Amino acid sequence: MTDPANLSLVEVAAAIRERKLSSVEVTRALLARIGRWQPVLNAFVRIEAEEALSAAAAADAALRGGTTLGPLHGVPLAHKDMFYRAGKLSECGSKIRKGWVAPATSAATARLQGAGAVHLGALHMAEFAYGPTGHNEHLGPARNPWNPLRITGGSSSGSGAAVAARLTYAALGSDTGGSIRLPAHFCGVTGLKPTYGRISRADTMPLSFTLDTVGALARSAEDCALIGSIIAGADRLDPTTQGAPEWNMAATRRPVKDITVGVPRAYYVDDLEADVAKALDEAVATFRKFGARVVSVDLPDQTAVTAAAQIVLGAEATSLHSPWLRTRTGDYGAQVRARLQNGLAYSAVEYVEALRWRGPALAAHLAAIGDVDIIVAPASRAAAPTIEETDVGAGPHADATIQAMTRLMRPANYLGLPVLVVPAGHSGMPIGLQLIGRPFCDETAIALGRAFQTATDYHRRMPELP
Amino acid sequence: MPDEVTAERVAAIAASARIPLDAAAAERVARTVNPTVTRFFAEKIALPMEIEPASFVVVAREQAER
Repeated sequence: MTDPANLSLVEVAAAIRERKLSSVEVTRALLARIGRWQPVLNAFVRIEAEEALSAAAAADAALRGGTTLGPLHGVPLAHKDMFYRAGKLSECGSKIRKGWVAPATSAATARLQGAGAVHLGALHMAEFAYGPTGHNEHLGPARNPWNPLRITGGSSSGSGAAVAARLTYAALGSDTGGSIRLPAHFCGVTGLKPTYGRISRADTMPLSFTLDTVGALARSAEDCALIGSIIAGADRLDPTTQGAPEWNMAATRRPVKDITVGVPRAYYVDDLEADVAKALDEAVATFRKFGARVVSVDLPDQTAVTAAAQIVLGAEATSLHSPWLRTRTGDYGAQVRARLQNGLAYSAVEYVEALRWRGPALAAHLAAIGDVDIIVAPASRAAAPTIEETDVGAGPHADATIQAMTRLMRPANYLGLPVLVVPAGHSGMPIGLQLIGRPFCDETAIALGRAFQTATDYHRRMPELP
Repeated sequence: MPDEVTAERVAAIAASARIPLDAAAAERVARTVNPTVTRFFAEKIALPMEIEPASFVVVAREQAER
């Protein structure tokens, strides 16, 4: 059999379930790979080898005894260090929460554990998930497996790097302003940012309760569908999930010929680097080949929606952090402290107005797209920039680079839309595209991504250890 | 009233939130945030008073039932 680390989540889960591989073998293979890659990538903040091997041995024993916990029985996974586990450290990429022990387990982690997953460790993240590049003044930057001089994207930096380097089969991440989608794009993995209210955020570190979503980075759309089927659904501890539709696995296999794809005429297609524009064109051609109906769409002005998202994020993040901004401001890294201070610029009236506009803005978006199921758009105007050129210490040029890098992210958060990012090109560094769905139609984005991945191999490409 | 965000305004909001912010930081914040606020208010949003933040949920859930 091939190196177990190279299998997808769906494949390894089946191999363990069918006892072609043991959980211990798989966990050992990943730990060996982590040992080689970690000094290069800085993807993990904690590697819990002994605990993982012990849990893997227990999973194997259970299987021998005829017991299967669920669809992830014995599969080792690692997650961003903001998904709490009761009695365990969860330091959130920060100095302020260094040594902090979580009082409860996050709903998403609990559901994965309930499905049989084995916990491998905690992954690097931007400080308090408030940064789009993968820089972290306390931990050092996470590094991109395709070129360690380049950024991973953030804030789910370790999740992107670890999935790309095949150190975990999938990883939970969070997306408030692009934190799943940017690492998926820059690291060449598949990322699911769900509809707001589809997946519980209970006992996960918050950044902006209006915009926060919890999702997955994985090796394929099919893997994201499996994770979604396990962690989506109502949770009494997260009221935004109440009454949301159940995950529909059959809809993740919806025929592409039944899907209408919209290509934006503006904003998402402005100022793209040639390789990104080419990836977009080729993807559209692939969708047409599968029988999708493809139309051009005129979206409402996305700059206004982006501004509203920034006001909401800024005000909420600053509010959540206000106790520490009063007493421990020096313990934030300079970048994050500056971002949090930006939230002090908004008045209460401006904040509430930005909140109230969210419904009308979504209605305008839906009216503009008509019967379009999926909007296809780049994730960013270019592939991953270098760590050096996106360090804010590099001056105003770095700010401009970061702004250009993130400008295609915020509308989906403000409008609460589901997005699947799929690897769709490679220019020495990976290029991802966003498949942006209608609210609560996450499965349609996955169906399109799944079909796309039967015709392309970008999601299967693996970086080599430098 | 001008849309522009000034350092004085930022300092006043920080003071009302009881969050320390020096003058240089207030200047920087005003400079950074000004394009966002200006852009948002250029939209000249005039919402009916019945619209509340949770109206968003109604619009989103209608899609789920589509």
